[in-house]
Amino acid sequence: MSGRLRTVLLLCALPAAFFVAFFLAPMAVVLIASLTTPDGHLTFAHYLRILADSYHWDVLWVTFRLGALTTLVSVLIGYPLAWYLVRVVRWRPWRRFCVILLIVPLFTSNIVRSFGWMVLLGRNGLVNDSLIGLGLIERPMRFLGTELGILIGLVYILLPFIVLAVGNALAKVDPALEHAAADLGATPAGTFWTITFPLSLPGLMSGAVMVFMLAVSAYVTPALLSGGRITVFSMLIFQQYSSVFDFNYGGALSITMLVLTLVLVTLAGRLSEPRRA
Amino acid sequence: MNRPVRLATAMLATTLLTAPALAQQPASITVAWYGGNWGDAFRACVAEPFTKATGIAVKAEIGTSTVTLSKLQQQKAAPTIDVAWMDGGISELALAAEVTDNLDAAAIPNLANTLPEAIYKSGSTTYAVGTGYYSLGLTYNTQKVKTAPTSWNDLWKPEFEDAVTIPSPANSAGVPFVMFLSKIWGGTPGDLAPTFKKIKELKAALFFDSSGAATNAYQSGEAIIGAHFNVGAWDLADKGLPIGFVVPKEGAWATDARLHLVKGTPKKDAAAKFINQALTPEASGCLAEKLYLGPSVKNVVVKPETARKLPWGETGSVKTLQVFDWTEINTLRSGVVDAWNREIARK
Repeated sequence: MSGRLRTVLLLCALPAAFFVAFFLAPMAVVLIASLTTPDGHLTFAHYLRILADSYHWDVLWVTFRLGALTTLVSVLIGYPLAWYLVRVVRWRPWRRFCVILLIVPLFTSNIVRSFGWMVLLGRNGLVNDSLIGLGLIERPMRFLGTELGILIGLVYILLPFIVLAVGNALAKVDPALEHAAADLGATPAGTFWTITFPLSLPGLMSGAVMVFMLAVSAYVTPALLSGGRITVFSMLIFQQYSSVFDFNYGGALSITMLVLTLVLVTLAGRLSEPRRA
Repeated sequence: MNRPVRLATAMLATTLLTAPALAQQPASITVAWYGGNWGDAFRACVAEPFTKATGIAVKAEIGTSTVTLSKLQQQKAAPTIDVAWMDGGISELALAAEVTDNLDAAAIPNLANTLPEAIYKSGSTTYAVGTGYYSLGLTYNTQKVKTAPTSWNDLWKPEFEDAVTIPSPANSAGVPFVMFLSKIWGGTPGDLAPTFKKIKELKAALFFDSSGAATNAYQSGEAIIGAHFNVGAWDLADKGLPIGFVVPKEGAWATDARLHLVKGTPKKDAAAKFINQALTPEASGCLAEKLYLGPSVKNVVVKPETARKLPWGETGSVKTLQVFDWTEINTLRSGVVDAWNREIARK
């Protein structure tokens, strides 16, 4: 008995040590830095400097707006895509091919993919060339340095998270429930909205939360696609750490962002919790 | 089950503990340098000749200057990096962080052949030595821009609307470039408001945060004129792109890549030898040929084709470079970044 307990403890010790060393300890360092002056006295001045300044709220608004839009667009594109992969595609090799197509970009770094979008969305890029070729616009449209450009880049990078989460949930829905609904006279749309959609909601929510968190904390994609003309919160944090070297203020910015994101995600989770009878 | 593991651990520990004590001359030293073509050039021009001459292998620790500085700060008690390349600006911060050791002229005789400007002293200690200058000059697309620009003010011409790029403060050249503009427009470092007003009027395509982003912008035609480092601009031209680089009449802001001996390294002698190797005319000339770094070593002769691509341009010399006092820049840094965020990086 005690031998088994020891094995269990040993098995848990490694992940626990890993968690402490690579997650808790760095987090504590950031938190402590955010609450101290460079010479080590306790202070709330860094937080006051952030919260009392409307500039920071402006940047937070841009950041969370982009995060919310990214989540919304990803859901609108990702849900049907997941539906197609799980429910429509019958031929297995094709489904497998589609899933690989979806996942392969995740193996390439964000930097490379964002550079790719810089080329595609540029004034002489493929997107503008096509739009002009089709006669839809006369002058090249500006994508780089606009929120639309950042949105396109973020949706592209984060879409697989929604598709995989929703696809997984849809695959688990018991077809018997849908058949029963149809038997009892529900229209296909009625079946979807009363049976299938609510059952896929947990998958959709977890995918959406993941996308939102990754979108508001994204650095590389907004930094490259903003062309330095739009600031999101992660860029302010990066500046303090890499170019101003004010780790106290930078730490306070990080904790502010972390807390606000957690609050928003918790609120969203509460609101969307399925009501139980 | 347990015994072989314990045995292996004990053996590993013994090896680790005895290995450094056995060697008089270390088998290897660790040198921190940058990634990409910079790292390749440092290896080919300095590390390989050093290994050939001494038999000491060189392990590369790749990172940007700021990352290297953070590593050095964390390893203060027991450094694993012996020699570190860091750019001007970060070099001064490394001095303040007390991670650099004195470069001793007796251990590094080639210091005597180095330009006095490239030897960085604080009181009686030499905390860094420059291994080559690079500058931020006017870069332009030779197909789209018919007459070569001659002044930084040309960037504000209406014909270049939405096709200009200059560095953002996230780039190491961003903050000094603001101060450089202020200086050429006759402003004072204390009052940068007029400078920001004028930058705000610039119709920029983008403000680049990394040298790679600038290269990408010129390559794709997103930017047809603006600022870029001589190293990156000539690299594009060498690849056959229609890119020109000029030092405008107001001059070009410049800085350098410097070598530092890490304080507390157990391999101090070998580290000093490495720095000495980097200060030979051969190494300096090699860096000039590969990266177009302006030599910091006296009497380096380079090919004429290379000479015109050096940071001071076709007619200048190290004396015409606008090298700023980084200590002053570092004190103004947070204010410039903040003002830039509020004035420029916002719609």
